Amino acid sequence: MAVRLYKEPELEKPVMIACWPGIGNVGVMAVDTLRVALEAEEFGEIEPWDFFYPKKAVIRDGELKDLEFPACKFYYKSTGTQDLIFFVAEEQPTEAGKTYAEGTKAYQMANLVLDVAVKFGCVRVYTSGAAVAPIHHTARSRVWAVPNTEELTGEVTRYGNTVVMSDIEGRRGQGNITGLNGLLLGVAKRRGVEAICIMGEVPVYFQGLPFHYPKASKSVLEVLTTVLGITVDLKEIEALIQRSERDIELLYETLPSEMKEQLDRFKHAARAEPSEPGPITDEDKKKILEDIDQFFKKEPREGES
Amino acid sequence: MSDSDALRIHREPRLESSAMLVGWSEDAGQLGPRVIDHLCKAMGCEEFAQIEPEGFFQLTGVSIEEDVAQFPDSKFYCSEEKGLVLFKSSPPRADWYRFITTVLQVAEQYCHVKELYTLGAMVYFGAHTAPRQLLAIANSPQLKEALGPYSLARGMNYETPPGQRPTLGAYLQWACKSRDIIGASIWVPIPFYLVATEDPRACRKMVEFLDSRLGLDFDFTGLDQDIARQDDKIAEVRLRFPEIDDSIRKLEGNLGLTQDENEKLVGEIGDFLRRRD
Repeated sequence: MAVRLYKEPELEKPVMIACWPGIGNVGVMAVDTLRVALEAEEFGEIEPWDFFYPKKAVIRDGELKDLEFPACKFYYKSTGTQDLIFFVAEEQPTEAGKTYAEGTKAYQMANLVLDVAVKFGCVRVYTSGAAVAPIHHTARSRVWAVPNTEELTGEVTRYGNTVVMSDIEGRRGQGNITGLNGLLLGVAKRRGVEAICIMGEVPVYFQGLPFHYPKASKSVLEVLTTVLGITVDLKEIEALIQRSERDIELLYETLPSEMKEQLDRFKHAARAEPSEPGPITDEDKKKILEDIDQFFKKEPREGES
Repeated sequence: MSDSDALRIHREPRLESSAMLVGWSEDAGQLGPRVIDHLCKAMGCEEFAQIEPEGFFQLTGVSIEEDVAQFPDSKFYCSEEKGLVLFKSSPPRADWYRFITTVLQVAEQYCHVKELYTLGAMVYFGAHTAPRQLLAIANSPQLKEALGPYSLARGMNYETPPGQRPTLGAYLQWACKSRDIIGASIWVPIPFYLVATEDPRACRKMVEFLDSRLGLDFDFTGLDQDIARQDDKIAEVRLRFPEIDDSIRKLEGNLGLTQDENEKLVGEIGDFLRRRD
C-alpha cells in the first residue's frame, strides 16, 4: 500500500484539489476540467491494487497481457500565482456491499492522499462532490461549502453562489458528507491541514440515476477558479450542460403529467426559509422520490437488458 | 515473508515442486469446485490450510442454498505423492489483493508451486451431447507453447467491455505472472440448461486435460457413471416432454431456440435433475 512518485516537483505553498466519482460525477467533472485546462502534469499515483478490483483484462492471442486497475493519480501545476496539486481517482474504495467509501480502506486512502499534501507542504485541501438538494433541474446549482475549521466559515460565506450548512433549509448547520469527500476533510482536520469540501447542488430526484450533472460541476468550477484566482475557458463544460439539459428535457417529456407536476413543485422549494410553510413537505418529498424510483425501475435503461 | 494474518496452516506439506488448481464456488454448474472434489477424493488429498473469511466476506449471517446453510469457505488440500495442491474457495467480496496474496503465499512459501491453473466454466448455447473444446488463457508465452499438444483453443483475443469486470481467475493469473509462476485459466463450455445444476461431461473434459498435463493417473469410472446417470435422466425428460426433446434436437442440429423454449428447457431439466433419487 503505497504512493509512487515519479518526480518531486518543487512547489511553493501549494493547494491540493481532490476528487472522486460520486453522484452526478460532479466533483470529477469540475476538477478534471480545471486540471486539463491548466495542462497539469502527472507526477505520481497511489498503487491501486490494495484498494480496487481490476477494471479490465487484456488478452491477446490466448495470453493474458495486462490487467488494468482504476487509476488514482497526482498532477501538479504552477500557475504563476498559485501552485496546485490535483488528485483524481477513477473510483472510491468501497467495502463489501457498501455504496460509498467507508471503513479501513477509505481511511487508508484518505491518509495516503494527505501524506502527499503534507509532503509538499500544501496549505489547503479542497475536496469536491455533489450536494443532493430539493431543487428543480432548471435552477442554477448553488455550492455548499463545508470547512474543517471554524475559522474558515467566514471565508467560505464570501464565495459567490455559496452557502454553508446553516444557510440551508432546516439544516441548522448540521449534515453529513459521505464517502472520501467527508473522510478527507476529517483526516485533514486530524492532521492539522485546512480543508474545505465544496459541493454542487444536484436535484434530489437525480440522486439514484446514472446521470452526469455538469451544471453542478460548473458551479463548483466557478467557485474554485475564483478562489484560486485562475481563469479557464468554460466553453466545454457549457456545451456539456447544453447537451445534458437537452437529454433531461427529453426524459422529462416521457414522464407522466402527474409526476411532472410533482417535480415542478421543486421550482419553488430550494430557497424556502425553515420558518415558512414550505411548498413541499417531507412526506411530499418521500412520495415524489418513490414515484420517480418506481418509474425508472419500469423503464429499461441504456446498457441494461 | 511473514504469514498473512488471515492464513491458518494446520500442517506444512512436504512438497518440493507442485501444481496448484483453483476452483471458485458460484462457478457455472459448480464446475471448478466439482473438479476439485473429484480430484481431492481420487488422489486422497488432505486439507492442510484455510483462509479466515473476516475482511473478505460480508459476515452478516448465512445464506441458505438447497435447504442448507452456507458459509464462505477457502480451503487448501494437497497430495504430496502427486505434487498436487488444490484450493477451493468462495470468491471474496472485498480486499481481493490481500486474498490473492494469501493464496500465493501458500503456493510459493509452503508448496513451491511451479504451475497454477484456475478452472472455470462458460455458458454456451448448445446441447449437452455436443463435443466440447477447452479454452486456455495462459499468463506466459512459455506455458501457452507448452499447452500446444493438449488440443485446447489458445488463440483468444478479448478485452473486458466497459461496465464489466475481469474474472477472479484473471486477477489471480496476473498476480502469478508478477511472481514468475506460470499459469493458465482453463475454461470448459457448459450448456445453458445445466448451469444451475451440474455437467459431468464438462467435469470429465476438464479432468482429462489435468490428468494428461499433470500425470495424475485418474480413474474415470466414477465420472463416466455420473455422465451415464445424467444422460439417462435427460433421456427420461425427453421422453416425457416432447417439446423438451424437440428443443434439445434443435440444439443438436445447431439451431437456435426461442426465449420461451430456452426458459422451458432450463426449468424442466433443472427441476428434474434436482429431484432427489
